[in-house]
Amino acid sequence: MKQVARFVAERLPEAFGPVFFLFAGIAVASGFACYVVLGPAAFERALGQDGDLLLSLLPRILAAVAVAGLVRAIIPRERLGALLGRGSGVRGLALAAAAGMVTPGGPFASFTFMVMLRDSGIDRGALVAYATGWALLGIQRILVWDIPMMGPDFTLLRFAVSAPLPILAGLLARAIPIDPFVGRPDSAGGTPGSGR
Amino acid sequence: MSASLVFIWLLAAALAGTAASRRDGSLRDGIAYGADQLVRLLPRLVVALAAAGFIAQLIPGGAVGRWLGADSGALGIAIAAFAGVLIPSGPVVTFSLAAVLFHAGAGTPQMVAFITSWSVFALHRITIYELPMLGWRFLVVRGLSVLLLPLIAGFAAGAVLLVVA
Repeated sequence: MKQVARFVAERLPEAFGPVFFLFAGIAVASGFACYVVLGPAAFERALGQDGDLLLSLLPRILAAVAVAGLVRAIIPRERLGALLGRGSGVRGLALAAAAGMVTPGGPFASFTFMVMLRDSGIDRGALVAYATGWALLGIQRILVWDIPMMGPDFTLLRFAVSAPLPILAGLLARAIPIDPFVGRPDSAGGTPGSGR
Repeated sequence: MSASLVFIWLLAAALAGTAASRRDGSLRDGIAYGADQLVRLLPRLVVALAAAGFIAQLIPGGAVGRWLGADSGALGIAIAAFAGVLIPSGPVVTFSLAAVLFHAGAGTPQMVAFITSWSVFALHRITIYELPMLGWRFLVVRGLSVLLLPLIAGFAAGAVLLVVA
């Protein structure tokens, strides 16, 4: 129990870092605007919806961080770097896009996975290819949303024109001369169990 | 309890089983990394969710629909691509809107551009997940990389339909 408390306490400075206060500020400001412009009823409705959303997200969040952590522990980092690193070429981008396609769960799962991939040293092109593959070609979303709502013909057309786009986006990301992870405390930060 | 939730927990269980069978501390390392992520991200997620909920209330849903209704060629594709950026909500709202517009006569290329744009730029996803978890530098790199994808997808869909028809 004491160990758990220390584990949590060590991470609190970052958990309640600048980004937390930025969004807390936005939440207070937009909540105030909501209350003033739309009235107390709309404010309470929004707050209730946020609470419901959070409760429904929590079991997914727990599963997503467990999956991301376990995948990271099982696949050696050097191997992930070789598969999806900067020297991985178009093949690495295609592999990353395919991984995005089959990632189950909502955005929390995919973004948790992206944090894990970033910490494992994959290059920005592969990370962008993964994000784009997940967003445009995600199998789960296509089955649950695209086909029922837009019909199979539309879905097939959209899938066909979108199929090459994650690789295109990944190539562009590699060409953009901005290092997205420079100076990030997260990327340098302590990763448990990385000592072996 | 949705099917996707069951699936991701089964996946977690299978991975835990694999990690445990290796008997090299993989299970402990994996769980520790997951717990590390959870503690770091949860506070940000809670406040971001609250902010997104209030902002969604403040943006009128009907205003978005009016701009997308017309079947208007290249300009329509551009408007649809722009509209996709403005939807700060998940697939429920987006696909409902897309389906309604589609049945009301909106063009296929326009709806492809709309869904593509929402897919890569959904505001709520950027504010709730991407910015807090990956940082603004990554957002800039990714945003530049996917900037033209909605237009490319829309025009490609239009070209395919021309060839097929």
